[in-house]
Amino acid sequence: MSPAAIERPMLESACSKSSDESRRSFANLRGVQWRTDLGILPPLSSSTIDDLRKVTADSRRRYACLRRHLLVDPHLPKDGSNSPNLAIDNPLSQNPDSTWGRFFRNAELEKTVDQDLSRLYPEHGNYFQSTGCQGMLRRILLLWCLRHPEYGYRQGMHELLAPLLYVLHVDVERLSEVRKEYEDHFTDKFDGLSFQENDLRYNFDFKKYLDSMEDEIGSHGNATKVRSLDELDPEIQTIVLLSDAYGAEGELGIVLSEKFMEHDAYCMFDALMNGAHGAVAMADFFSPSPVGGSHSGLPPVIEASAALYHLLSVVDSSLHSHLVELGVEPQYFALRWLRVLFGREFSLENLLLIWDEIFAADKNKLEKGAGDDTGSTFGIFSSPQGALISAFAVSMILYLRSSLLSTENATICLQRLLKFPENIDLRKLIGKAKSLQALALGPSISSSSPRCGGAYNHSKSMVVRSHTLPSDSISPKTPLNMVPDSYWEEKWRVLHKAAEQRNGSSGKQNPTPKKGWTEKVRLSLSRTASDPSPAKAGCGNDHKPSVRRRLLEDLSQELGLDEDTEKAGCDEVSGQKDHICKVVEVENQDGVNNDFTCVAEERCLSGIAGSEENSSLFSDPSSPLSGANNHENDSEKSSVASNSSIDETDDHPEANHEDTTLPVSHLPNNATLNSGDNNEATGKSLAVPKERKLLSGKFQWFWKFGRSNDGEETSEKGNGALDVTKSANDAGSQSSTVCSSVDGSCYSSTTGDLVDQNMMGSLRNLGHSMLEHIQVIESVFQQDRVQVGSSDNFSKNVLVGKGQVTAMTALKELRKISNLLSEM
Amino acid sequence: MVLVLALGDLHIPHRAADLPAKFKSMLVPGKIQHIICTGNLCIKEVHDYLKTLCPDLHITRGEYDEEMRYPETKTLTIGQFKLGLCHGHQVIPWGNLDSLAMLQRQLDVDILVTGHTHQFTAYKHEGGVVINPGSATGAYSSITYDVNPSFVLMDVDGLRVVVYVYELIDGEVKVDKIDFKKTTTTTHSAH
Repeated sequence: MSPAAIERPMLESACSKSSDESRRSFANLRGVQWRTDLGILPPLSSSTIDDLRKVTADSRRRYACLRRHLLVDPHLPKDGSNSPNLAIDNPLSQNPDSTWGRFFRNAELEKTVDQDLSRLYPEHGNYFQSTGCQGMLRRILLLWCLRHPEYGYRQGMHELLAPLLYVLHVDVERLSEVRKEYEDHFTDKFDGLSFQENDLRYNFDFKKYLDSMEDEIGSHGNATKVRSLDELDPEIQTIVLLSDAYGAEGELGIVLSEKFMEHDAYCMFDALMNGAHGAVAMADFFSPSPVGGSHSGLPPVIEASAALYHLLSVVDSSLHSHLVELGVEPQYFALRWLRVLFGREFSLENLLLIWDEIFAADKNKLEKGAGDDTGSTFGIFSSPQGALISAFAVSMILYLRSSLLSTENATICLQRLLKFPENIDLRKLIGKAKSLQALALGPSISSSSPRCGGAYNHSKSMVVRSHTLPSDSISPKTPLNMVPDSYWEEKWRVLHKAAEQRNGSSGKQNPTPKKGWTEKVRLSLSRTASDPSPAKAGCGNDHKPSVRRRLLEDLSQELGLDEDTEKAGCDEVSGQKDHICKVVEVENQDGVNNDFTCVAEERCLSGIAGSEENSSLFSDPSSPLSGANNHENDSEKSSVASNSSIDETDDHPEANHEDTTLPVSHLPNNATLNSGDNNEATGKSLAVPKERKLLSGKFQWFWKFGRSNDGEETSEKGNGALDVTKSANDAGSQSSTVCSSVDGSCYSSTTGDLVDQNMMGSLRNLGHSMLEHIQVIESVFQQDRVQVGSSDNFSKNVLVGKGQVTAMTALKELRKISNLLSEM
Repeated sequence: MVLVLALGDLHIPHRAADLPAKFKSMLVPGKIQHIICTGNLCIKEVHDYLKTLCPDLHITRGEYDEEMRYPETKTLTIGQFKLGLCHGHQVIPWGNLDSLAMLQRQLDVDILVTGHTHQFTAYKHEGGVVINPGSATGAYSSITYDVNPSFVLMDVDGLRVVVYVYELIDGEVKVDKIDFKKTTTTTHSAH
C-alpha cells in the first residue's frame, strides 16, 4: 500500500494546511462559516475534514428522521400496520391523535406559512419564489414549528430562514464553479482512489488502478493528483475535500451539497432559534411570555427593546430623551429589527455582512464581575453577541439621529426608523456597533437605576466620546447634593472602562470611589492636552472624611504592592505612583496655573471626599493655594500611607514609590492641572473651604510640592518632602520616623546612601516650603473671599465661610510644624 | 389529497328532521374540498347548510326536491378522476348495476355516484366505480324502512381513490375503507 501510504501523509498535510487557513479558507464559503459560528460544525482549526463530514452527516440524519416522523402522509399506514383503526384514522375523525388530524393541523400551519412565503423577498424572486426553494422553506418552517409547538409559527421566522438557505445556495453555486475550474479533482469514478480509506473494499484498487489513473480524469488517490492538490489554493483544497463523494460518510458527508440543502438549512435555523452554545436565542423574541430567569416580567423582545433604549440613553441621552418625549416606544421598531435580525432593514447583501459579524461574535455569557452587584436587568447584555445586536440597533438609531431629532412628530419618527435608508456605509455602522458593544458590556450598563440628568448624561457622553477626546468641560447643572455617592462610582467605572480600552491600560476596577478616582485622574493626566477629567463634570461637594479615610487606607494597603510605574493596569497604586510622578512633573512645568485646575478637579470628585482634599492639596503647592490643605483627617492617613510607602521607598529608591505615598494628593492635582481655566475659579473657591478642613500635614505636602515646583525637579523630592511634612504633622514620633524614612526614600533616587543627610536637608526644605505654603494659604483666603461672591454654588459659599475658620487653625498648626521642622 | 363528500337522500323535513348528531359533529367546514349530492335534500335550508361545509357543491335533482332547477345529471373532474352524478330514480331498475354501468358509459366517467335506494353500495367493474352513498339521514325509502344513515367520503389522490364509508349502526359510527386505483387514463374502449 505504498501509494496509499504516500497519499495519506500528503492528505494530512493538505488537511493541516487547510486547517491552518480554515478561517481564511472559509471566508468565501459563508454557509460553512456560519455553520461553524452557529455551532453546528466544529471549527476546522480543531478538527479534521472527517469530523466535519461526520457532524454534517449526523445532523442531516436527524433532520431526515424528523421529517419522516412529523410530515404526515395519511395514506401511509402508521407504524407499518396494514389495518389502521378506521374509526380513528378516517379523514373526518375528531380524534386529535389520528393521522388525519395531524395532517389537517399541518395543513393549516402550511397555509399560514405560505401566506408569508409568497411575500418573501420579491426582489430576489427568481430564487426565493421558485417552487423548489419555497417548498424547502415551507417544509423547514413546518417541521421546526411542529418540533417546537410552544412557539408555533410567527411571522418573521421565514425571514430568518431565508438568508440561511441563500448562503447555502451560494456555497453550492461556488462549489459548482470550482468544479468547473478544477474538473480533474472532482471525480465521480466510484472505483477511484480516495483518501479516506473507510471502505476497505477499495483497497485493492490502489495497486490496480494507480497507474491507469495517469491518463484518466484524476482521482484523489492518484499520487500525481495528490501533489497537484497540494498546489491548489487551500480554499479550493478544502472545497475538494469537503465534497468528496467517497469521503467519510459518503454522500451524506459532503459538506457543500445541494441535495441536503434543506437539512443543513434546518440545522442552521434550529441553532439560530434555539441559541445554541449560549448565543442569543431568536426564538425568545417570538415568545409572548416572559422567559424564565428574566429579571423583569416582560416578554424578551420587550425587554430587549428596553435594553436598546437603555444603551441609547447611555450613549446619546439627548436623542433618547427626544424619542421618549415623543412617545416612541422602542418596541415599535425594535420588534421588527430584533425578530428578523435586521432582515427587513437592509438589502440581502448587506444583511449577510451584518450577520457575518453577529454570528462571529463571542457567545459566551459574561461572568458577572464582583462589582456588578445589581446584576444585569437586561438579559441581552449578558453575552457579547447580545450586546453586539443591541449595539448595532443603537448605531442604526444614531445613524438617523439628525433626521429623528428634526421632527416633533412621533409618527414621522417611526416612519424614518422603519424605513432605513438604502445607501449606507455598512462598515461604519458595524464599526460603531462594535464600539458600542464594548460599552454595553461595561458594568455601568448593568445597573438599571436611572441617573439624574445633566451631570450623568455629561459623564456618559464623556465616556462615549472618550474615543474622540472631547475637550469640553461643562460644569454640572445638577445641584451637588442630589448626586448620590454611587453615582460617582458608576461614573468612574464607566470612564474607567472607556479609558481603559482606549489607553490600553487595565486599571483595576475598584469598587471604592477613590481608587477609581485616582485612575481617572491618572487617565486624565495621560491625556495631558485633553479635557479635564470627566469627574469634573459633576463635582459635588459631598465631603466625607470617611471616604478620605478609606482612600488613604487603601492607598496604604496598595503601597505594599510592588509597583511598576509603567504598569498599565491592575495596580492602582502603581498607577497612582505613575500619576503622582506625572503630576509632580506637570506641576513643575505648569507652575502656578495648576492649582486651580486641581481644585476644580477636586470639586468634581465630590463623591470622593478625599480626592477633593487631595486636589486642594495639590493645588496648593502648584499655586499659592496651599492654605486650603486642611486635610486633617487625611494627614494622619497620609502619614500612614507615607509610612507604608516609606517602607517601600526604602526598598525601592525610586521616585515612583514615593509617589505612592501621595497618590491621592497628586492625582487630583494632576487632574486639575489638566483642566481648563474655567474650573479654576470655582475650583479655588471649593478648594479653599476644603482645604480648611484638612490638617496641615497635607498642607505640608503641598508645600513640598510647591517647593518642588520652585526648585526641585524630581517629584521624588517633592514627594519626600511631602511625606516628611505629613509625618511632621503627626504626633511627632511617627513623623520623625516617617520623615526620616520618607526623606531617605525621597532622596533615594538621587543617592540612596545619604539617607540621613537627605533627611535633614529635606526636613529643612520642608520647613521652608511650609512657610511658603502658609503664605499661599493666606493669600488664597483673601482670594477666596473675593471669589465666594462669584461662586455658583451656595454650598460652596457655606463651606467657604466655615473653611475660613478652619483654615486659620490649620495655618496655625502649620506654623508650629514648620517651627518644629526648622528646629530639626 | 382532495376530499370529496358524497351524500344524498336526506328527505328533510319530510321523512327526517336532520342529520344524525354524530354525523353532524364530524362534518366540520374546512376539511372537505367538494360535496356531491345525489338529490332529495329536499329544501333550500339543507342546501345552505351543505354550502357552509364547502362552497363547492354539486347537486342533481331528486324526485322530491323542491328546487326545480337542479340538473338531472352532472359530471365533474377532480384530480385525475371524472365523476358522474345522478339521483338514480331515472335509471331502472333502481340500483341495477348493469343499468348504472350503462349510465356511466353514457356520461363517460370513472366514478358514478347515484342514490335513491337509500342503501350503501360500491361496485367496481371494468369501466370504473359505481357508488351509492345511501341516505345520510336514514330516511325510509320507497323500498324499505330499514335504513342506516350513511354517507361516503372520497379521498382522491393522484390515480388512487380511497373511499371511506361512514355508517351509523346502532348509534355508533362505523367506518370502512375501499381502495380504488385507476388504470392510466384510457379511453373507454368498446367491449
